[in-house]
Amino acid sequence: MEVTRFDKNMMAVAFAEAGEHDTAREILKDGKKSKVTVPVPVKNKPYLKTVFFGAISITAYILLFKNEQLVTDTFTMGGWRWVFPVGAAFFFSFIHGAFASNLLSSLGLEAKK
Amino acid sequence: MKKLLLICMFVLAALPVLTQSAFAAGDGPSKDMLKGIVTQVNGAERTVVFVKDGTKEVRTLALGEKMKIEDMKMNTKVLINLDKHAGENVMKDFSVMFMDMTVSKLLALLAIGAIGGLLSGFIGSGGAFVMTPAMMSLGVPGAVAVASNMCHKFPKAMVGAYKRWKYGQADIKLGLVMSVTAIIGVQIGIKIQKFILSQFGGAGSNLYISAVFMVVLVFVGGYVFYDAWKMAKGGGEETVSKLAIAMQKINLPPMIHFKTANITISAWITIPIGVLTGMLAATIAVGGFVGVPGMIYVLGASAVVASATELIIAFVMGAWGSVQWGLSGLIDIRLSLLLLATSLIGVQLGALGTTYVKDYIIKVVMATTMLIVAVSRGVMVPGYLADVGMIAPIDAGTIAVLERISYWSLLLALGSAGLIIVVAMVKGMTADRRAQKTLAGVRHG
Repeated sequence: MEVTRFDKNMMAVAFAEAGEHDTAREILKDGKKSKVTVPVPVKNKPYLKTVFFGAISITAYILLFKNEQLVTDTFTMGGWRWVFPVGAAFFFSFIHGAFASNLLSSLGLEAKK
Repeated sequence: MKKLLLICMFVLAALPVLTQSAFAAGDGPSKDMLKGIVTQVNGAERTVVFVKDGTKEVRTLALGEKMKIEDMKMNTKVLINLDKHAGENVMKDFSVMFMDMTVSKLLALLAIGAIGGLLSGFIGSGGAFVMTPAMMSLGVPGAVAVASNMCHKFPKAMVGAYKRWKYGQADIKLGLVMSVTAIIGVQIGIKIQKFILSQFGGAGSNLYISAVFMVVLVFVGGYVFYDAWKMAKGGGEETVSKLAIAMQKINLPPMIHFKTANITISAWITIPIGVLTGMLAATIAVGGFVGVPGMIYVLGASAVVASATELIIAFVMGAWGSVQWGLSGLIDIRLSLLLLATSLIGVQLGALGTTYVKDYIIKVVMATTMLIVAVSRGVMVPGYLADVGMIAPIDAGTIAVLERISYWSLLLALGSAGLIIVVAMVKGMTADRRAQKTLAGVRHG
């Protein structure tokens, strides 16, 4: 249904009477350029970043499991070698965490603004 | 800012204390535990030649009475517990350190990681109480399961804390103050545990842990549930508890102002909450079950801020716990990283979920989890009571059934919490999108 200029004015009056002056002004302003569509800002989804971090993460996982024996033996020697498991956990939390964050954004799952 | 720096310096000063002792869910490996490789098996004499990890010390160990020679595995890393009562070099048990990874085990770890992460991101803690037993049931030795869980917990908490800090929910200062005091609590918790173990033995210790579990979870969980129900009836608006208002009025220097939590309270009130969180962490491995309700009802923080701040505490405590277990070389990084693969997604999903739901939903999830976990520990109590001789012995079949009920109720706790979170989140998101569309419709005429 086409919204006429009269309808718009009446709508503005209704808002103005309800105390919503700003909204009323906005409706009247919009009336002049009612045929112009306002572009809705579309946030680019981070597909490229998801693929990038995903690729590093999966490569790291494959490398680790291909060298399972070596990794488990070295990482469990104790003493100063605690830096291996703790460092690996930090590394994966950054890379895989970035992948997970971008993946959720790509799926359109964002926090409420 | 100056105060924050002071707090950070205090944390750093406390580190040497930390490195002296392990905490949360274990006091590090026992001194009677050996890690290394069996190089020879002598069937006739029932002995093995064992090379200790690190020092390469060679020892000949005899098999304990109940052990079988065919269970001994050579040339793979093993954990051996010694039976000091039977002799200096007598084994109590023997377990292969690294389980063979099969597809079903891999999938099980990924699934547990995902739900545990979701719960963690949403209520600040969770998952640990089910991950360790779940890994053990997949054939991982207890110490390795605790260590690997710890090493997956801190990166997960770090990512969750970062996300929730970005949403303006985490109070870093409160998190650090709580962490420092929790560390002290852990030391006390370990001391109590050791005392009970030496006085009443393993069964007494199990009974103590279960009793603490039951009392804390039933009372605290029950109260959180009652409060959430009251909030749901009152339109979902959160009010500061009377206790917290009274506590905030106590003007006992030093007074600390927590910006994000928006509270000013005496340090003397935060100390006992932190200490209790640490004590609980050392006893039942889930300090958050006291920490989060403590921050809500005693300090007066909102459920959103309390659950977000708990993630900072989990990060600090988990990181140092991991260093301890790493020093002993007991972390199976494969397990930690498989749990992380899905829990890093889950924790971020849970964190963003909190922005769509009302505060009382966080309390509902927390209370539900706590009460089901209480059931899980409760069914084990008769067995422990029989062990310490307080009631008549129970037959092995009944015990096995009770153990199964206990394990499955843990999984039920995780599953039901996950379900509530997902449903609440989907509802919140749908309502938000509908509101956005209506708004856009009004704007564009």
